[in-house]
Amino acid sequence: MLSVPAFAQVPVPAAKQSKPVLLTGATLHVGNGKVVENAAVGFDNGKITYAGPLSGANRNGHEVIDVAGQHIYPGLIQPNSQLGLNEIESVRATLDMREVGQFNPNVRAVVAYNTDSDIAPTIRANGVLMTQVTPVGGTISGSSSVVQLDAWNWEDAIVKADIGIHLSWPNMIINTGMAPNPRMASMGQNREQAIVELGQLLRDASVYKQAKNERENLKLSSLTGLFDGSKKLYLHANYGKEIIEGVNFVKQHGVKDIVVVGARDAVAVADFLKANNIAVIYSGVHALPSRSDEDVDMPYKTPFLLQQAGIPFALDYDLSTHGIRNLPFIAGTAVAHGLDKEQALAAITLNTAKILGVDQQVGSVEVGKDATIVVSAGDILDMRTNNVTHAFIQGRKIDLNDKQKYLYEKFNGKYRTEQPATAGPKAQK
Amino acid sequence: MRKILTIAACLALGAAGSAMAQETFPRNGVYDERTGLVALTNATIHTDYKTKIENATLLIRNGKVEAVGTKVQVPAGAIVVDAKGKHIYPGLVDMFTSYGLPEVQPARRNWTAPPQEESTKQGAYNWNQAIRPETNAVELFKVDKKQAEELRKLGFGTVLAVHRDGIARGTATLVTLADKRENEVILLDKAAAALSFEKGSSPQDYPNSLMGSIALLRQTYLDAQWNNMNPGREQNISLAAFTGANNYPQIFEANSKLNMLRADKVGDEFRKQYIIKGGGDEYQMIKEIKATNAPIIVPLNFPEAYNVEDPYDARRVPLDAMKHWEMAPSNPAALQKAGIPFAFTTADLKDKKDFLPNLRKAIEYGLSEEEALKALTATPAQLLKADKHVGSLDKGKLANFIITSGNLFAEDNVILENWVQGNQYKITEVPADYRGIYTLKIGQQPERKLQIAGTPEKPELKVIGQDTVTGKITVSGNLVTLSFNKDKKSKEAIRLSGWYADKNLQGEGQLPDATLVKWNAKFSEAMTEKAKKDAAKEKQAIELGNMIYPFQAFGQAELPKQETVLIKNATVWTNEKEGVLQNTDMVLKNGKIAKVGKNLTESGARVIDGTGKHVTAGIIDEHSHIALQGVNEGTQAVTAEVRMMDVLNHEDPNIYRQLAGGVTTSQLLHGSANPIGGQSALIKLRWGKSPDELFVENADGFIKFALGENVKHSNRAPAHNVRFPQTRMGVEQVYVDAFQRAKEYEQAWKNYNKMSKKQKAAAGEPRRDIELETLVEILNGKRHITCHSYVQSEINMMIKVADQMGFKVNTFTHILEGYKVADKMRDHGAGGSTFADWWAYKMEVKDAIPQNAGIMHHLGVTTAINSDDAEMARRLNQEAAKSVKYAGVSEEDALKMVTLNPAKLLHLDDRMGSIKVGKDADVVLWNNHPLSIYARAEKTFVDGIAYYDLERDTQMRTELEKERMRLVQKMLQAKTTGARTQGPPMRRASVVHCEDVEHHAEEDYMAY
Repeated sequence: MLSVPAFAQVPVPAAKQSKPVLLTGATLHVGNGKVVENAAVGFDNGKITYAGPLSGANRNGHEVIDVAGQHIYPGLIQPNSQLGLNEIESVRATLDMREVGQFNPNVRAVVAYNTDSDIAPTIRANGVLMTQVTPVGGTISGSSSVVQLDAWNWEDAIVKADIGIHLSWPNMIINTGMAPNPRMASMGQNREQAIVELGQLLRDASVYKQAKNERENLKLSSLTGLFDGSKKLYLHANYGKEIIEGVNFVKQHGVKDIVVVGARDAVAVADFLKANNIAVIYSGVHALPSRSDEDVDMPYKTPFLLQQAGIPFALDYDLSTHGIRNLPFIAGTAVAHGLDKEQALAAITLNTAKILGVDQQVGSVEVGKDATIVVSAGDILDMRTNNVTHAFIQGRKIDLNDKQKYLYEKFNGKYRTEQPATAGPKAQK
Repeated sequence: MRKILTIAACLALGAAGSAMAQETFPRNGVYDERTGLVALTNATIHTDYKTKIENATLLIRNGKVEAVGTKVQVPAGAIVVDAKGKHIYPGLVDMFTSYGLPEVQPARRNWTAPPQEESTKQGAYNWNQAIRPETNAVELFKVDKKQAEELRKLGFGTVLAVHRDGIARGTATLVTLADKRENEVILLDKAAAALSFEKGSSPQDYPNSLMGSIALLRQTYLDAQWNNMNPGREQNISLAAFTGANNYPQIFEANSKLNMLRADKVGDEFRKQYIIKGGGDEYQMIKEIKATNAPIIVPLNFPEAYNVEDPYDARRVPLDAMKHWEMAPSNPAALQKAGIPFAFTTADLKDKKDFLPNLRKAIEYGLSEEEALKALTATPAQLLKADKHVGSLDKGKLANFIITSGNLFAEDNVILENWVQGNQYKITEVPADYRGIYTLKIGQQPERKLQIAGTPEKPELKVIGQDTVTGKITVSGNLVTLSFNKDKKSKEAIRLSGWYADKNLQGEGQLPDATLVKWNAKFSEAMTEKAKKDAAKEKQAIELGNMIYPFQAFGQAELPKQETVLIKNATVWTNEKEGVLQNTDMVLKNGKIAKVGKNLTESGARVIDGTGKHVTAGIIDEHSHIALQGVNEGTQAVTAEVRMMDVLNHEDPNIYRQLAGGVTTSQLLHGSANPIGGQSALIKLRWGKSPDELFVENADGFIKFALGENVKHSNRAPAHNVRFPQTRMGVEQVYVDAFQRAKEYEQAWKNYNKMSKKQKAAAGEPRRDIELETLVEILNGKRHITCHSYVQSEINMMIKVADQMGFKVNTFTHILEGYKVADKMRDHGAGGSTFADWWAYKMEVKDAIPQNAGIMHHLGVTTAINSDDAEMARRLNQEAAKSVKYAGVSEEDALKMVTLNPAKLLHLDDRMGSIKVGKDADVVLWNNHPLSIYARAEKTFVDGIAYYDLERDTQMRTELEKERMRLVQKMLQAKTTGARTQGPPMRRASVVHCEDVEHHAEEDYMAY
């Protein structure tokens, strides 16, 4: 039975880990491709102290949780996420992801991140424990931060703040032969102008640090990290030529560390990406092919093709905010279409952590990293078996309840009391 | 003595005559009437498309043909024109132009502007501004000299002027292209009536979809009949005009193969055989087009090659566009082969000058010259009942004819003159053929050889002496100008001017040193035949790729066939009391499940090893919007009259993609922009079959209702906050009112039908209303409701309204708060078709939970999981699995949520939804547990036909790439040889639908 206090739809954040914990008997999926059968994972003070065969684990002083027959995974990470910025898509007052204006590099998404979102607990319940809080809109949307999903406020939630700047590469409206309608012509002009202004902005920002500035320029100063590699540039682009154009453009302007996000056509430009050593956050496994002539399973098998091409990549679930809980299942679909299960897991854990620059801290179940760990009764990548029984964030055992379970209990209870003849289903777990 | 002129003499004969007189007009000055008696002699005369008379005479008088043939006596006083070596053809007829009519500005409403529900046209006209049959093109028509000249240059003498505005467009007028007063050129003031599915300049909201246009046209036929039968009930100029226009040939502008079929269906319903204007893609569905029995009007708008030099851009050109580029010129030949009567039109050509070159191309691609001429003369004349005026050169017909230098269809032919109503219009100055080798003598300089090659229109000059130099030659009448450099090194030119006389050239010139000289060039030999041939373009053999069905990527030349299949040793999910059977065989035969059991054999069957695999019934999607051209007719609160079956698109690639996800049957629903939407279509995913062949046979009728935010326009611009209803309170009243009206309507008909003949005559028939008829079907249990719904209050309300008005809600769809009122749904007998785990995308789904399906199911509500999403439909089995995860539903019951339960909700469970002997062989072979994320469909059978087969799919991908490469190479080749090209299209969806208002993102959103 679930115990859901009627007044608390968003569970109370868990308290700091007070004593060492040892999870025993499960299959450990490290996140780096390795699997340990009959393993144990120990953690203390929020950090992993042991991850290996059960035989080598020290139980002394630990709270031992028997998870025999279950699976231990690193907490899953959703990159490129608007969770906490977008509560109800159609209600403007609940939206905080899109600032007005074309260039907002100084805008920081994390300060708007709502830890009291009703959606976040439902996401955690399937194993997603961290997100990259990412602004959208304009050409430069602002900077993103990595957060964990169990916190009192956004400051507490930060895993790493302001990791990179998000640039939406202006869409190519390629229309050389046909007479474009006036609207399209103006879009083309806007694109050209946006690229010119972007170039000026990057040029000015690249020398901003060296110059003596009498007055602070927030836009320029927020971009300086791109040129010394301390901040990444997340280049959002989908069409093959846009990817090439965008990457070449920002490289020419001195940007050091580039990640391509979206990347629908990544396979078509794989050689280019590889030659430039560019990592990819691939959006939309659960998507229709971009063109009628494409293989019907093109988006499904793209992760496998990226793997084969040797491109470092992570997956993000981009169909909706509430749907982020399906992140493990897009990895599962990639498995159905060629990817190895552990590679698929890496694409939503360690690869993501590397691409976000937080792999020293999270992304795999290895000693010294945060004890941000999820335990599932069955294979986490398959909805048929995904059943999260325990989740820990920085060693804190988190409450897996959510508003939806509360509503389920509430109405299930109604039918149970009112209509014993047609009693409701067994409560989950 | 008779004055004999030659064509080459180019004498203008001036105004010779006109068929129509202007008797009533006073003159300023003296009367100046002439007979225009002209005899054209010694010509090759094509009196009609199949008759050619050599060495014949055409005699015309007063703008009409007086005689034609070899034995024509040329009367005294006739001007005789010697047309030796020339051809004369009847003037061409284009029965689909906008000649002389005002331009139509399609209405474009800004989305921030309020909707316009009612007509703003003043006067006793129809309620809808797209119905404008009161329009008579003859009243709008003005002679337009520029347009007339453009068309005359192509050989046309007569055109139908159609005012292409609106759905019912009134009458079109047949006019000649003479530059005369309107009174003189109009041949038939009302030659045809015109119709279309496009609302044109109407600013009114309704209809904003193709299906709405179809419904409006159907209702207009009924209204006009009623109005005609019941004079005095409603004065309506439009309806009276509509009835009047029915007496003329009916021309329907359809512009695409599917719209042609749609138009023909409307015609069949109201016993009209339309003449249908097509789009040039008829060859893609020639069998269906033929079956319409419609004569058709065909454009020659062959697409330009795509610019495919950039391989990334080339990927954006879809296969169907590439193939259409290749095959479009073969369309006329395909029509001829199929025996479909057709006329050509210049309509749809970006540049009218392409008409004749494209016509020649069509002939190159297999159209016969006779058929080509017929399509430009006899056919349009007959279709317009104007064959006593035009279409051939017989006594008494108009003196509309063209004089050509040779065979009209030959590459090097030139139209010399176009005579309209006896008025001569010169088209091309006959260039004298100066080509040959001459001996050139300039002043005292040594003799040189002068070679004039090229074509008569574009001669090329070469001067051969000590040095050989090329130069420039221009010819105007019999005057000639030459210029060429003194020698190879020099840039100084010798310039000569002269004239042509007795085959020789002579004149005066100036040398670079300013000396004036006399010169002459004596003709020595004609151009060799070889040189002439070299000048003509080399012809290449025509090679075309395969015709594929549907005309789309993953279409096939041969559709898969029904076969007898024996699946051995599989895990079979029966959805019956037998449950899941291990190591089981099954036989599919004659489209049905023939046997299920152990150790089966079946002679002649294709055996499929099912070891380690799973077989389930085909997935049925209760809520889909694929394969449709338009989803919402959301302009009015009640649009029960619109039908999704009218707008099926069998070429939607999502059909094939969903087969690959195991889907076999879908309910195609109207959108949710209004409380009472349109009628559903139930289809099987028979990829490659025509729209009519997709429908589930003998299925019950369904209709979409919708509640909540979408129908009350909560998420639209504030300008939209004017349509009733704006609240859930109002939504209830829409239903009560609609069904009340339906009841009264039914009663009115009952009363009428009970009357005696006499009483009936006195009372008059009630007006048939296809909207209310549909609601009456619901009241009588003959049509079933799928109701888009979210929150508990509205669900409860809908049940109460249904109880009050006496109907049932068959299915609540989406129904995300179904778990709150599942007991009420069960007691009403309604099913629920829901999303597995969607929520939080708008206010009314903030309480949605993924356990919803589970609760409804456990309470005894027939529960389905649906897609409403073309992508998710490919994974419905996995969506069903979420009910196991979130609500503890058993795996068998979860699978039923996407198979047997939707079959029940669609009243198809007697033949679909489970593995049972005798049911349709709609089954899927999975490589893994069907509820697992790792499951992929390997084969999807519909009616025992493997419409999807993973192996064949792999092969098709290779073939598709090969075909694309062949076409890319061909396009590159075309570009190199000078063909015009166009850029790659934008995404296909926007190409197909860019004209359709309902495809704004906002409306698409209304789908869920």
